Amino acid sequence: MKKLVIALMVLALVTSAVFANGAAEAGAGKKTVLNIMSFTDEVPGMVTKYFEMHPEEAAKYEVKTTIIATTDGLYQPALDEALKAGGAEAPDIYCAESAFVLKYAQGDMADYAATYKSLGIDVDKLVKSADIAQYTIDIGSRKGELVALGYQATGGAFIYNRTAAKKAFGTDDPAVVAEKIGAGTNSWDKFFETAAEIRKKGVAIVSGDGDIWHAVENSSDKGWIVDGKLYIDPKREAFIDLSKKLKDGDFHNDTRDWQEGWFADMKQAGAKPVLGFYGPAWLINYTIGQNCGDTYGDWGVCAPNIGFFWGGTWVFANKDTKNADIVAKIIKWITLDDSDTGLQYFWANGTLNGEGGTKDCVASGTVMAKSNGELDFLKGQNMFDVFVPANQYANGKNLTQYDETINTYWRDQVRQYTAGTKTREQAIKDFKTQVADNLDVIVE
Amino acid sequence: MEKRKTFSYSRYGYLFSIPFVVAFLIFWLYPILYTAIIGFTDLKGISATKFHFLSEPFKNFKTVLTSSSFRTALRNTVVIWIINFIPQIVFALLFTAWFTSPRCKIRGQGFFKIVFYMPNIMTAATVAVLFQALFAYPTSPMNDLLTKFGIIASPFNFEVSKTSAKLIVAFIQFWMWYGYTMIILISGVLGINPEIFEAAEIDGCTSAQTFFRITIPCLRTILLYTTITAMIGGLNMYDIPRLYLNGGPDNATLTTNVYIYNQAFAGSYLYNRAAAASMIMLIIIAVCSIAVFQMYKEKDQSKVDRKRRHLAAKKEVTE
Amino acid sequence: MKYNLSKVKRVSKPVLALMYIVCIFFAILSLLPFIVMIVNATRNTYQVQQHAFSFVPSKYLLSNLKILNSKQTFHPVRGFINSMIISSGSTICAVYFSTLTAYALVAYTWKLRGAFFSLVLAFLMIPMQVTSIGFYQMMYRIHMTNNFLPLILPAIASPSMVFFMRQYMIPSLPLEIVESARVDGCHEFRIFNQIVIPMMKPAMATQGIFSFVASWNQLFLPQILLTNKKRYTMPIMVSLLKGDIYKTEYGAVYLGLTLTILPLFVVYFLLSKYIIAGVALGGVKG
Repeated sequence: MKKLVIALMVLALVTSAVFANGAAEAGAGKKTVLNIMSFTDEVPGMVTKYFEMHPEEAAKYEVKTTIIATTDGLYQPALDEALKAGGAEAPDIYCAESAFVLKYAQGDMADYAATYKSLGIDVDKLVKSADIAQYTIDIGSRKGELVALGYQATGGAFIYNRTAAKKAFGTDDPAVVAEKIGAGTNSWDKFFETAAEIRKKGVAIVSGDGDIWHAVENSSDKGWIVDGKLYIDPKREAFIDLSKKLKDGDFHNDTRDWQEGWFADMKQAGAKPVLGFYGPAWLINYTIGQNCGDTYGDWGVCAPNIGFFWGGTWVFANKDTKNADIVAKIIKWITLDDSDTGLQYFWANGTLNGEGGTKDCVASGTVMAKSNGELDFLKGQNMFDVFVPANQYANGKNLTQYDETINTYWRDQVRQYTAGTKTREQAIKDFKTQVADNLDVIVE
Repeated sequence: MEKRKTFSYSRYGYLFSIPFVVAFLIFWLYPILYTAIIGFTDLKGISATKFHFLSEPFKNFKTVLTSSSFRTALRNTVVIWIINFIPQIVFALLFTAWFTSPRCKIRGQGFFKIVFYMPNIMTAATVAVLFQALFAYPTSPMNDLLTKFGIIASPFNFEVSKTSAKLIVAFIQFWMWYGYTMIILISGVLGINPEIFEAAEIDGCTSAQTFFRITIPCLRTILLYTTITAMIGGLNMYDIPRLYLNGGPDNATLTTNVYIYNQAFAGSYLYNRAAAASMIMLIIIAVCSIAVFQMYKEKDQSKVDRKRRHLAAKKEVTE
Repeated sequence: MKYNLSKVKRVSKPVLALMYIVCIFFAILSLLPFIVMIVNATRNTYQVQQHAFSFVPSKYLLSNLKILNSKQTFHPVRGFINSMIISSGSTICAVYFSTLTAYALVAYTWKLRGAFFSLVLAFLMIPMQVTSIGFYQMMYRIHMTNNFLPLILPAIASPSMVFFMRQYMIPSLPLEIVESARVDGCHEFRIFNQIVIPMMKPAMATQGIFSFVASWNQLFLPQILLTNKKRYTMPIMVSLLKGDIYKTEYGAVYLGLTLTILPLFVVYFLLSKYIIAGVALGGVKG
């Protein structure tokens, strides 16, 4: 008996393993298959919503989604292989995150992307009427032709704690905080003046050096690589000194982004109260809002001293797609539709899945203008007032396809220098060695 | 070795080995040869499928061997392996001695055996996340504990200190594998003829004497197996160093396999350099394994035999 | 003469106490992460982010379950079935064929036996990870992605298990029984299946646990080979829960991890009597 069971198990196993492939696709006989590849369920969710709104289209297509997380660095190899292999399994629509979007828009994999124009989208007219943030266009353009756009706008601002602001400046007025951190000056001088000033009152200006990194990274004039060679932009190089200054002056709580201490500072539970964090709208919704504890409603947002953006997802169409018609409709609805039934309107007002969802900034200025960005979290302040201009300062021309890796190396070395384990020269030298040893980049 | 009765059915020997050989040829040999060949080519870049042999065949090997990152990685791998393997084998042997000795009947032995293996069940990713939380800076259970008891004055940044990062990775490796090693060693001890122990007992050996003079020499083959598999595992250490601090800080936990992964997937897709590094590691592992084999061989085998005969003779006398 | 074990000198009380202390210490050390993981499965994201290490359960178990259910990619039943097919398939392959290969090495004399055994020992040194680049590209080339076979069949050649089985078989398999079965007219293959396999049970169970655990937790190869979400294994589904670092639901992730480990516990405890009893491995060289 037992042997029979084992034999049956083995048999079932072999047959299921061998035939599973065929069985999985047998049901899709009549409908056209639409393949979507992404690293979160955000875009697949949008596509589902699109078909819900258009039942006549839903009858014709079957959506097959592949979601692979970026956490272990596996999304890119999988997507690359799928694009290279082509055929029925190749994605019709695929997504890329800001950390690696350049590779698919302008870098090694750019040739697989269809231009929005070739799909039949009237790009010039729609971009103008929707007032799409320029930096998202710069990133998503291959030799002047648009191949990808986002739905979010991730221009950054300074998100501050009102109680900490009162302790530091005697007021929580956004205008005052903006003035104190040197909004619009495009430098860190005023910021550090204030940092020293409020340190005497026991307030840390930021939580850790990671908070200023995104602002530094994106305000630099050039990216890490210029003409195939490693280039250390003076502004990025200056980060090592800014970080040291923060540490030596005890201006922060010395936390690391995305770790416990950083999250604790969001509810003001660290060693010193923290004035604020640099970040885009999603940082409020997904991160500070989730971790603020009792400080909910005690926050404000003001213009930053440096224009920057952080994160975002871009949507691509495969140049070999057999379903250009529907792909164009979906992409247009997600990235360029500025009507009240366009994706971005739902996204901005948090109504994609019913009322009361998370509000976020979107790429279309037109949509933002008619949306309500008031948040209880910000004590009723309308966040769009700050984030819409912020999107204009963002610069999309200093990305490279190796940013994720190179940033990791750079910040690791900066941390060694600020911790006092090596000299500034040694840190920069070791950084260059790491880049040369691991990447196909010339280092001089 | 005792003389074994054999049959003239030798063809079954070949027949029954066929599945192993076939699976090996398809799933192991092909990828190895493929990797070896790539090492001599210019295959790099994600979309590349075509490759050319380099005019200077060993260029990739040279690049890898002269790169300071690879040398750091190799050094780290060896250092981390040694500081994890020594306590691992020591504790595994200690527990083996306790759990197999007739002198100490530890109650709940079964429970301990089951529990000691359990860290191995947990996925490496989870282990890494939990240890990150345990040793975080500036606030974490470990820092709270150390400052509370005044061992350190202010929180210690375990993730920036190269030494502590290495030690933590080594500790995690130790913790994940000591139970496994213990189970294998216990199996080895159970395979030793109990008469030898009885003889030793009558001979008036102390437990330490029994352990070092009888158990360990008799465990030789199993110890060899453990050392070799642990060494291969150690030289291929990947999950924990990558998931815990991704090779950092400042390359302190960069192991050769993390290095290989970085070459192949973390940016430039330098398949050729990754393949060359893989082959270098294969050679290093083969050389080390052969060295360990030799080491065990050279130990005087006859000494053990003599001891065994001696004890057996003693036993006969008492009978 | 039967040897009287009761005469054996026992270790002194303080030494025994020390042994217990060490054992209990290690037991706690080994169980700690499981407790933390299970406790975290009952806490929400905020609590986990504030203090990832806690022993106080919270009340968010159900809401975490709801979050898990709402995720498009998390289908515990499907993941369980897929993982089960891969893990039991590869474990059965590894255990059965390793025993068969070991039997070929122990029970028969054949010309290439010595050479073959040396080769098995040499294969032992080949690190799987090193060849993953080649393996991965080969599977793409022969269109074996989204198929479980590339994750199951390589287990047929498991050199370290062959070695273990051989060491176990040498002292514990009396060839006289094999011979008498042969006299009774049993076919060789039948002898192996009906006589040898049952005698090998303890060793097969022990190695089965190791192999099952390793296969169940494997992430790297499944993640690059299985891209169709109908094929996802449990660990892939859990890794997807972490998908976007900007908004990870940590409580749900820990719940997912706990669910992933549960089947392993069941398998482990079912087979654990063999771990407790231990298997006797021959230490004989040759």
